[in-house]
Amino acid sequence: MAIPIAESLKLGLSDIMMRKVRSVVTVIGIILGVMCIMVVLAIVNGMNKSTISWMEERGGLNKIEVEQNWQYDFSKGGDPSFTLKEIRYLQSLIPEAEAFNPTVQEWEAVINKDDIRYSTSLRGVMPDFVKVEQWNIDKGRFIKDLDIDLYSNVIVLGSTVAKEFFGNNDPLGQTISVGNQQFIIVGVMEKRFMQTQGGQIGMGDNALEYMNRRCFIPISTMISKVNPGGKISSLDIRAKSPEAAKELRRKVENIVLNLKNGKRLFQVTSAKEQLDTMQANVKVMEAIFFLIAVISLLVGGIVIMNIMLASIRERTREIGVRIAVGARRRDIFIQFLVQTILITALGGVLGILLGFAILKQVGNYLQIEVVASVQMIWVSLLVSIGVGLIFGVVPAVRAARLDPVVALREE
Amino acid sequence: MDIIRTENIVKDYILGKIKVRALNGIDLQIQKSEFVAIMGPSGSGKSTLMHIIGCLDRATEGTYYLDDVLVSKMPQSSLAAIRNRKIGFVFQSFNLLPHLNILKNVELPLMYGGLSHRKRLARAKEVLQSVGLGDRLKHKPGELSGGERQRVAIARAIVNDPSILLADEPTGNLDSQSGGDILEIFKDLHSQGNTVIMVTHDQAIASRAQRIIKIIDGKIVDGNSDS
Repeated sequence: MAIPIAESLKLGLSDIMMRKVRSVVTVIGIILGVMCIMVVLAIVNGMNKSTISWMEERGGLNKIEVEQNWQYDFSKGGDPSFTLKEIRYLQSLIPEAEAFNPTVQEWEAVINKDDIRYSTSLRGVMPDFVKVEQWNIDKGRFIKDLDIDLYSNVIVLGSTVAKEFFGNNDPLGQTISVGNQQFIIVGVMEKRFMQTQGGQIGMGDNALEYMNRRCFIPISTMISKVNPGGKISSLDIRAKSPEAAKELRRKVENIVLNLKNGKRLFQVTSAKEQLDTMQANVKVMEAIFFLIAVISLLVGGIVIMNIMLASIRERTREIGVRIAVGARRRDIFIQFLVQTILITALGGVLGILLGFAILKQVGNYLQIEVVASVQMIWVSLLVSIGVGLIFGVVPAVRAARLDPVVALREE
Repeated sequence: MDIIRTENIVKDYILGKIKVRALNGIDLQIQKSEFVAIMGPSGSGKSTLMHIIGCLDRATEGTYYLDDVLVSKMPQSSLAAIRNRKIGFVFQSFNLLPHLNILKNVELPLMYGGLSHRKRLARAKEVLQSVGLGDRLKHKPGELSGGERQRVAIARAIVNDPSILLADEPTGNLDSQSGGDILEIFKDLHSQGNTVIMVTHDQAIASRAQRIIKIIDGKIVDGNSDS
């Protein structure tokens, strides 16, 4: 003759409806805790999403970068650059790589045509560049193997550079000079765009605008004509998958170390591993925020426990009556436990609604992307029910243990 | 047939470090369909006896048979079932739940008895009609007079068709007119074959019963003779 849970739910609901104001006040702690969880999860989701899209915009998680090691102590000697021969040798050792592109950089090259002068970062690259960077050509073509072999004077412009010189006119086939060399424009890169996050000052709204200001020429032409003695100091490799990239990174690191007689002149990083590190940092933040949420939920739970205890003291006679007409101790226990859980679940639902309501404001205020997800609702609801379950036990036990004779005498 | 039979019931209370003996060897027999008054001055132990008969409390010593079932050794959860099915309480201060309407109040024992919502609604209505409150179902106890409230309490006590009806000073909070009405209801219930046990300190009220059992200082001094 147990009273079913449905009956307890009905009892609990009518009790809550009868004491609306008290019920809402009771759960303020839970509401705040749940809101906190909601916002944290949304921020973490947002951070993960923008980190991944940043990585993807920069060539994806398959990318491995070989760069000069700025921490190397150059007093120990060594030249942090590769010759074209070393590059060819390295490439032959890693046939599993999907794309392979060394770069020679000229940071401050001045391009001019007629009266227009433009300072740009000029890069000598190979045809695989577009594959490594996952960056397509918008007009014309990119640099080809034949251009490398023939030391051709061809150039591909970034979209911003093309606009500076030609506005809306077609730049293809036009000539432009870099230093004393004339180049034929064979292509224009696609515009890269990613919304700036977090309001970094001076970046404008396109976090990738610096890429649109670059120009590209064959690496052979760069070394022989534009910047004689220019050195190959960086190398990008693309693996078949993010996991393969981790593996390949270690292999490339060893090859480079051997090439340079064991000197750590270069550092080899994989985007996947960088992402892992960044996500580990996000995890730490996540943990800190969750601790805050847990503390506010604990406080909320203790408040609820005390209010429930007070409410049971107030309802002693009612409990006595229920026992007198046949309620078992278990029925009383369930009645009060279910009521506490209902109250915290109600707080959870309010917290979820308010959390959604403030999510946008938080995102705008911190100038970061927040991403809502269904998982947030489940986590919040489960947590608030869990708080009710934990903090409802003591009051429910107290109620169930009342002596009916004493309880009925209570005024 | 004895519906209630107790043998040498003793009840001790511990108050601080002092042991107080509230009942001191009660041998009581009450037959089915009897109307009995238990009478005694305050502090005589009559309420304690009623709590033990009603299975709300346990005796320190002695045995208690209700309907030939030994209940003095039963576990708590079984006692809850006994209270639910075999006993109907009527209290001096009514003890209705103030936030529930009277229909819900009367449904309460049926809910703990596990009856379906539909059945208990029908049964509660029927019983409330029988005490003359069929048109007040949705009223809360606070909207009723004392006499009406006690009638609701009686309806709640009889809704499960119990073996015994236990009333503790049922007219104590009522004016004489309403008190008289309530006693009439008890008489009617008795005449329908119910066993009614009424605890009171008032000779005039006790005299309405068939038999008066007198208790002083935890002992029966008179009235247990005809069993």
